[in-house]
Amino acid sequence: MKRREFTRALAATTAATALAPFGIVRAQSQKLKVGVLLPRSGVQGLIGQSCQKGADLAPALLKEMYGVDIELMNADTETNVDTARTRAERLIQEGAHVLTGPFDSGAAGAIAQVCEQRGVPFVINIAAAPQITEQGYKFTFRNFPTAIDLTRNGLALIGDLFRATNTAPRSAVFMHVNDTFGQSMAKGIGALLPRLDFLPFRVVETIAYDPAARDLTVEVSKAKATGADFLMLVCRLNDAIILRREMVKQRWNPMGIIGPGNPGMYENQFYRTLGKLSEYCISNVPWYNPKAELTRRIEKAFDKRNPKDKLMFHALNVGYTFEALMIAADAFKRARATDAKTLSEAIRQTDIRNRMMLGGPIKFNAKGQVEGNASACIQNLNMRPQVVLPAAAAEAKPVFPVPDYRKA
Amino acid sequence: MNRRALALGVLLLGVMLLLPAFANSYVLSVATLILFLAYTGQAWNVMMGFAGQLSLGHSLYVGVGAYAAAGLFFHFGIGPWAGIWLSIALCVAFGAAIGFLAFRFGISGVYFALLTIAFAEFTRIGFDHLDWTGGPGGLFIKVAQRDQIDLANFRGPPAMYYYAMLVLTAGALALCAALLRSRAGYYWQAIRENEEAAQALGINTFRWKMLAVLLSSAMTAVSGVFFAFYYNNLFPEQIFNISRSIEIILGPIIGGVGTLFGPILGAAVLTILADAITEVLAALGWEIPGIKQVFYGVVLLVVIMFLPHGIWPTLARRLGIGK
Repeated sequence: MKRREFTRALAATTAATALAPFGIVRAQSQKLKVGVLLPRSGVQGLIGQSCQKGADLAPALLKEMYGVDIELMNADTETNVDTARTRAERLIQEGAHVLTGPFDSGAAGAIAQVCEQRGVPFVINIAAAPQITEQGYKFTFRNFPTAIDLTRNGLALIGDLFRATNTAPRSAVFMHVNDTFGQSMAKGIGALLPRLDFLPFRVVETIAYDPAARDLTVEVSKAKATGADFLMLVCRLNDAIILRREMVKQRWNPMGIIGPGNPGMYENQFYRTLGKLSEYCISNVPWYNPKAELTRRIEKAFDKRNPKDKLMFHALNVGYTFEALMIAADAFKRARATDAKTLSEAIRQTDIRNRMMLGGPIKFNAKGQVEGNASACIQNLNMRPQVVLPAAAAEAKPVFPVPDYRKA
Repeated sequence: MNRRALALGVLLLGVMLLLPAFANSYVLSVATLILFLAYTGQAWNVMMGFAGQLSLGHSLYVGVGAYAAAGLFFHFGIGPWAGIWLSIALCVAFGAAIGFLAFRFGISGVYFALLTIAFAEFTRIGFDHLDWTGGPGGLFIKVAQRDQIDLANFRGPPAMYYYAMLVLTAGALALCAALLRSRAGYYWQAIRENEEAAQALGINTFRWKMLAVLLSSAMTAVSGVFFAFYYNNLFPEQIFNISRSIEIILGPIIGGVGTLFGPILGAAVLTILADAITEVLAALGWEIPGIKQVFYGVVLLVVIMFLPHGIWPTLARRLGIGK
């Protein structure tokens, strides 16, 4: 090599070395455009708006955590599968690098097809139908337990509760709403319960009721007449309020009321309407870890943004929506690119241990499903939902059997 | 049909045929949705627009049609071309049951509408308990590779679904045009305008009303099959929901009940304007959830107040073409 050629080569190498970090900086400073599809109107409007609160917190917090810029592209699915599909197409057309959402399994199925066809990663926040991740999709990822896992976790926590309180109720009366959700839960429980031989109780009677019922006198008296030790209840909000009042009216004091994986008894309106009567009701649902550092940060940001609201009343919705965006941000940071293939591969390699929701690390299996998402045993104590199990995340000790309502 | 109408029709069909060549995926998905609503609206129009029988439970036929074909495909691998006949047969049986109950026992008007809602509702509840179709957990059809057209299993890229819907809508339009000029069409219109008078003239109203219900249910069953293979997942709560029935009838009401082109125009107006208003508000930085529903309400109000026969009759008059 001649001296002049050597000098040129050296200059080129020096320049390349000097500019390399700028290249990285340039790639990192790109914005990740995240399409957030949620049902902010229609039947699921309230839940969609609750999830949106989690998404709204993400850009600022994720910038602090990962140093990446996130731009939210919000779209309302209107609780409609057709709209979910066209909105997903629209967001991709407008340049979304990754999609998240949409709280609903039907909409998730429709969006997943669009994402597969367009080659855009899709991180599901909440949708429980197991089939979504059984379709062989390459770009669809889900950080949420399947319906079977939800029910299994909820039932297993009942056993944990009995062990933690040294109790062994022998019988339960199972009451459930007879809508789609209630029927689905009842079917799941019916299939799982006989296989969970560590649970000491048997269901002596199953009573289905209309979620829109204005009066549950007959159903409650029928349940009381069974003499069951405790009430296993799959409810929604309004019927839970009516049912609890009716129990007091009929002076029925079972060992407790346990929801194996349903909403209703930890919602703000439940406390506001029932006051002290809301105390001690138990719900086994996916929840955030109140002791996690990330939860504290999110709660602080949530309080600042929503001064009249409380994170605990949006726990599942905010938590899983935030985590979906966190997965995207984490992958973006590692991939240093926004192209679908690289980003999808980075999402597949996700291993997040510092998380908000209860459960193991966020790691996707070959099907794009996170395994090991856990539920918590939530008990209404001092007019708010408190984690009582698992012990590592507990804010208080479980109370079971519960005291008479007059002593509450 | 006059020359101007024919020219406009050919021009529109030409544009629709060429659309996939220059439209992006989003536009194509919106166009497919418009055609789906137009076709289903046209099917509803046969019953209400032509024969005057108000159905508020057409989601029943979409759902049964969808589940029948999807169930056969899911459990036995039988493709939709065979499944479609089961879908049609089941929907016709449901239509026959509703029609027989109503027309045999003199149920009409709002009571007939209530009967259609009741059938849709109890079918939804029934499907919630039917394990064969997945119950409330839904039925998911395996999604296959989308790059190549597999007509046998009705699998392919979005353009294939668009063209399928275009063919169905054009076919339904042609069928309805022919029906309106046939004996059945005249009898239906006579029944719609004054049933007693039609009966007095010797028209067997039971028979002709039954025919309208059966034809409408069979046509809607086909849209159900399309729905199943386009979206690939079905939930009783969503497909049998009354909101889907309302969605089906809004197009014909806005476009013009009883007209041939009204359902198509109504579906296009509602879908495009609702999407446009969402886009405009988003561009302005206003995020208003539910604005589409408000918009639907306002459009319905305006049309009822100022265009009680729908947009198409007025537009057709201005364009100098027939209904």
